[in-house]
Amino acid sequence: MGVDLSIEVFGIQFKNPIVLASGPAGFGFELQPYLDFSKIGAITLKTITVKPRDGNPPPRLVDAYGGIINSIGLQNPGIKGFITEIVPELNKLDTIKIGSIAGFNLEEWQLLVEEMDKIKEIPLIELNLSCPNIKGKRRWAEDVKLTQEVVKTARELTNKPIIVKLAPDVTDIIEIAKAAAEAGADGLTIGNGIQGMRINVETGLPVLKLKTGGLGGPAIKPITLARVFKTSEVLDIPIIGIGGIMNWQDALEYAMAGASLLGIGTAVMVDPKSPTAILSGIEAFLKRKKIERFRDIIGIAHRGGFSVS
Amino acid sequence: MAKLYTGGIVLIEAELKKKRISGDYGFFIFKLQEEIENPDAGQFVMLKAPDEPILAKPFSIYSYKNRELILFIKRVGRLTGRIFSSPIGEIFYVRGPHGNPYVSSIDLTKRYILVGGGSGISPLNFFSELHPELTYTKLYGFKEGHIRKLFNENEQKHLVIEEETGHTVVDVLNELISKEVGIIACGPIPMLKNLPKNAYVSLEAVMGCGIGTCKSCAVKTTDGIKLVCKDGPLFRKEEITWEWI
Repeated sequence: MGVDLSIEVFGIQFKNPIVLASGPAGFGFELQPYLDFSKIGAITLKTITVKPRDGNPPPRLVDAYGGIINSIGLQNPGIKGFITEIVPELNKLDTIKIGSIAGFNLEEWQLLVEEMDKIKEIPLIELNLSCPNIKGKRRWAEDVKLTQEVVKTARELTNKPIIVKLAPDVTDIIEIAKAAAEAGADGLTIGNGIQGMRINVETGLPVLKLKTGGLGGPAIKPITLARVFKTSEVLDIPIIGIGGIMNWQDALEYAMAGASLLGIGTAVMVDPKSPTAILSGIEAFLKRKKIERFRDIIGIAHRGGFSVS
Repeated sequence: MAKLYTGGIVLIEAELKKKRISGDYGFFIFKLQEEIENPDAGQFVMLKAPDEPILAKPFSIYSYKNRELILFIKRVGRLTGRIFSSPIGEIFYVRGPHGNPYVSSIDLTKRYILVGGGSGISPLNFFSELHPELTYTKLYGFKEGHIRKLFNENEQKHLVIEEETGHTVVDVLNELISKEVGIIACGPIPMLKNLPKNAYVSLEAVMGCGIGTCKSCAVKTTDGIKLVCKDGPLFRKEEITWEWI
């Protein structure tokens, strides 16, 4: 029996639910020797800003129990550099590319959406409203009104599906998720790194130069998973579930909680081949359970789980 | 076989076969289940413990032959602590080689003084093994004399022990410098900063992925932001913006 791993969301057919999360996979090119892109559903490209960014000074990354804290700081070539240097190369990646953008004011959001709208290689746009690593900048996704403003602005400027990347560490993610959906978002990414830090006890100073960063990896999985579950309980909008997916079991938990697509971040850093290993695990699980289609298990945790017979 | 916490991991199994430790330094010999492809000096492997911490960490290759990987490691954090305390037979995981061989970026018409500080001697040793014709001499700097017992008589000739002579490895280097001979150095940042202008410096950095995607090991250069893993580890001393590191 073959297993159908494909899934159609945002009007786009994904061959399977595995999405490389924005950030750890860069623009994908360096991963190519290790990972067969034709075997994964999509890649969310590294977030692009209007101006090129050097990112934060090092150290930018530190271990934590069960996770890692990073403060890369959106290092990227800027929208112009992206269009001239990166976009012409994107056809080398045989998978769906999701463009990720972050503006620092509404005008910047506007410009980024307009530019992304023109790029034919990019059929979907993710609005990164929740990067935890920008010095002195508030995250848009912490505020209902700001979230709405950005999504509305983007909605008016493009017909491409818009996915909104939310912050998991907010008081009420459902309120913000609803606001994003009402403003015209086609989907949500839940979530992003959760603000964290470590201090070097020998020096008495924060380990990261930026002092704090975004905690990702297994440590945050229960937290983001709960937010995917709660959000999908009340909102009928496709969700990309992200946060500590290290193996196929983690991935399935997100699907069962209601995520249609499954974002892999930290695991790619540990093992660049992990996305295909995770996919094989999902396939084997579905076969064992005699489930023909991956999409049948999405949100099963809301529907009483597997029926016991 | 040890089960990996991360489930679907497909890294190469590396069994700890031997270790020789003195204080916070040690030699560790791993037998790999598969070959890593033609590693050259300056390249590194990403090594991961079977459980915590979750990320693999970069280690320069001290020596490699027939699936036998030798690492010279300083105990600094959780993963290295774990390697030091692991029993023989413990399974770790590696992937690589990553990074660029030194020979891809240096002037091959010259011979080089190899200046190492602490665990920074690793890639230099591999360089002298693979490229004796490019090696002028080696200077391995350490603070404390107990390190001697880790090295054989021949290797001990290259040690520069600060507590014994009051001289740093850079002091000794300064007496040897000539225009005809180049410098390749790897070690702590303060040591690298004290080197003469034309030296090649092999940088160490905190890495997430080791292959250029995560942008963790960024270094500011005269040519913009570069990554130690993908663009390095070797740079020219004068191209680095040292105050950024």
